[in-house]
Amino acid sequence: MKIKIVDKKEVPALIDRLIERYRVFAPVDAGKYARLMEVASGSEACLELQNPKLSSKEILFPQTEIILRIKKGEEGLETEEPSENDKDWVLFGVHPCDAKGLVLTDKFFASGDYKDKPYMDKRGKTSIVGLACNHPRATCFCASVGGSPFGKEGIDILLVDLGEEYLIEILTERGERMIEGVHGLRDASDDDMARAEKMSEEAEKALQTDLPIEGLSERLEGMFEDPLWDKVHLKCVGCGVCSYLCPTCWCFDIIDEETSTGVERIRLWDTCQFTQFTLQGSGFNPRPSGKERMRQRIMHKFCYFPKEYGVLACTGCGRCVRECPVNQDIRETIKEIMSV
Amino acid sequence: MVSISNPYKPNIAALRKITTENNANDIKTFEVVFEDPDLAGSFRYTPGQFGMISYFGAGECPIGIASSPTDEGFLEFTIKKVGTVTTALHNCSEGDRIGIRGPYGNGWPIEAMEGRNVVLVGGGFAFTTLRSLAKYILHDDNRGRFGDLTVIYGARNPGELIYKYDLEDWEKRDDINLIVTVDKGDSGWTGKEGYVPTILKEAAPSSKDAIAAICGPPIMIRFSIPVMTELGFSPSDILLSLEMRMKCGIGKCGRCNVGSKFVCLDGPVFTHEELQGLPKEY
Amino acid sequence: MEGLGNSIKEAAERLLNEGDVDLVIGYERGTTPLRSTPCFIRDSGDVDRLIWDPTCDANLAKYLIGQDAKIGVFVKGCDARSAVVCIAEGQIDRDKVVLIGLPCSGVVDRKKIDSVLDGREILDATVDEEKITVRGEDFEEELPTKNFLCDSCLSCRHRTPTVYDIMIGDTPTEEPDTDEYAEVDELESMTAEERWAHFVEELSSCIRCYSCRNVCPMCYCKECFVDETMPAWFGKTNDLSDTMIYHIVRSLHLAGRCVDCGACSRSCPMGIDLRTLLKKGEKIVKERFSFEAGMDVEEKPVMSVFKQEDSEEFVI
Repeated sequence: MKIKIVDKKEVPALIDRLIERYRVFAPVDAGKYARLMEVASGSEACLELQNPKLSSKEILFPQTEIILRIKKGEEGLETEEPSENDKDWVLFGVHPCDAKGLVLTDKFFASGDYKDKPYMDKRGKTSIVGLACNHPRATCFCASVGGSPFGKEGIDILLVDLGEEYLIEILTERGERMIEGVHGLRDASDDDMARAEKMSEEAEKALQTDLPIEGLSERLEGMFEDPLWDKVHLKCVGCGVCSYLCPTCWCFDIIDEETSTGVERIRLWDTCQFTQFTLQGSGFNPRPSGKERMRQRIMHKFCYFPKEYGVLACTGCGRCVRECPVNQDIRETIKEIMSV
Repeated sequence: MVSISNPYKPNIAALRKITTENNANDIKTFEVVFEDPDLAGSFRYTPGQFGMISYFGAGECPIGIASSPTDEGFLEFTIKKVGTVTTALHNCSEGDRIGIRGPYGNGWPIEAMEGRNVVLVGGGFAFTTLRSLAKYILHDDNRGRFGDLTVIYGARNPGELIYKYDLEDWEKRDDINLIVTVDKGDSGWTGKEGYVPTILKEAAPSSKDAIAAICGPPIMIRFSIPVMTELGFSPSDILLSLEMRMKCGIGKCGRCNVGSKFVCLDGPVFTHEELQGLPKEY
Repeated sequence: MEGLGNSIKEAAERLLNEGDVDLVIGYERGTTPLRSTPCFIRDSGDVDRLIWDPTCDANLAKYLIGQDAKIGVFVKGCDARSAVVCIAEGQIDRDKVVLIGLPCSGVVDRKKIDSVLDGREILDATVDEEKITVRGEDFEEELPTKNFLCDSCLSCRHRTPTVYDIMIGDTPTEEPDTDEYAEVDELESMTAEERWAHFVEELSSCIRCYSCRNVCPMCYCKECFVDETMPAWFGKTNDLSDTMIYHIVRSLHLAGRCVDCGACSRSCPMGIDLRTLLKKGEKIVKERFSFEAGMDVEEKPVMSVFKQEDSEEFVI
């Protein structure tokens, strides 16, 4: 494992070098918040901002994605899979919580007999440059759910902000390929690495939320009929903010739209929180109210998914806590479940 | 590019024959043939599985396969006109093209049924995959592997009975005990009258060496299960086919998730025992 | 405001103990700085949770829709007007609701506060009608509350609930010192191209989460036009055209019904200005039909009645 150092002022040039070989997506100052967007030059990237409003999922699993085109020709119907024969991609400046979200998404979309090709094609050509979190926010709880502000899961190169420089930890072969031919990097000294280590310790200590999750999934297994669900959902208005911003929510809808030459089959974000998510043609809805829908979200993240994949479907990024219009706080829900 | 096949890509099929099944004119059986002759010859499925049927421009929906695997070179889907996609399909003519993805789901467990008496209980339009199963069992190649076959099928009224042509054939056979009922008869109806659970109780099929499959509207299932239980069928010998809203059919879109299962992958067929272990959400 | 804290708790306690209501809906302290959160109380022993301060921004009238129980609900001026609209439209039974009026002089806009802090995280804050004190890792600042109120509060003409059963404290003084249609006028003075560019920019970050719709008490349709499939009026993707249709049609559906509580703009995770388009609808209805939403439970919804004197210049 190679560890290098780069001066912060060299980073825009480093990104420019990457742009020669890759399509690069980096956090950009979108005015009111940071957003992960494609950058045409390194100077557009801004790594000093807080975690982007939406997670990296919006690049690899976009809100709207054409998964099929059907042409109505004279010989009949032809299906065509959109493919982007462009350069490989780099997601630059991804926080460990979002990178872990991608690891979980990879697990799910690659599982079983049917692999999700649209996602996996993009993921397969994407390298991740992570950015360790020196200052977790008060709403962050990555460590409570098995992650860490300096976590390396899903990351090919990890950057650590040392003040005037970034420590560069090359973690995978993909990371090595990314860094090939990039100049201006020096080997990290023992002192540099010690500084990074200290920052990692301080970041973990700085996490203000420590949730008791020992035995959470097992507890939830027996709680499907618990009266707690009657209360948990009361203030939830059933919008899509939590699911859409969540790095580990990936439910989707598929619709057809007609074009002048045929049909586009499009997948778009959906959420188990919407009323008609499970509405059947007969009019019957197995989840008729907010109670059942809230229960589903919590059970899926903290019981059903871990039962199947051995890991909680939550990376503690805190977006749902910050952005929920009515301050529904998943941390409080977990505490309530653990105290029943 | 990752070299995996795209599970969202449908196969094109042509509508060879369209048959209206009921008087209300909102249930039709579509006989379809894949455009790719290799696929038409090699497509394999088991009764109880379903396909995701596309009308391009309207979308896709999950429909149980109504034909039996013993029917060669074509598939049948019986579709009720309910929403956008099914309405578009109902407006199709013979020769029109649709998309099919599949076969999806686990299907009826044929192996578990071999060597045993089989009781099929169907209500209304949900009878479609039981019809597939019955045809499969009745086929000369297969009949010998199964014991007695009892089929109890009911609809709201005589006009709503589907597969009338099959029912006529089966009535004449002696290797199937067919009981047809309607909730309410009309002036021409000379058959049984009564809800399926009631007629089921009357028929009292023996549970000895038997396995049962029930497929129908939720209320029919709710009242049929206690009857079967009383007749001595154990929860692992009562099979049900669940309905859930589906969009991808391959366990990715999240819609049909119940507990740690996906109805499109781990179902739609579940034993009553398995369902008792899942959250009560259907 | 401190004395009012007790009045709020007393009022809730009395209503529950005397069986006038089965449930009280109010505000309690939120889990992050400068936030409150809706609170549902059935047991009079829980009334200590209730608070009232300029962080109490949620429109609680939302939670009255579709309820059978007798509910006591705390309402600011705007929330009360929402309740009145829903009562007039037959969605809330007036006899089953006890409206407890709150003396509101505005709620804080957290986005405005964040924008002056330049990315620094607020770890702790206190707020009253005079000042907001925010504390972070290495800063503490005092901000005058009146400079950080929501835009909807700055143009509010009905601080006093138009209908209430109980009023907490004194009815607030109305302070119509701002031009309530300033933002609307600014957009009206633009050329069509400029206005189009403005809306394209605002709405292009919309992710179709529908929090704007779901926090609005007046968006109570069991099947929203967004979800209709036969026919499907427009698409559900984030295609800009479809997104703009969503917002434009929603604002049409709310013309004459929106009370400018600001909940939609506050709820938007992308910080889109949703109010101004809705405010334009409000202005048109006021000018054409001399109607303001939420003033009187008896008055029929303006867009569902026709009066002889209605202006007709749009009818050819």
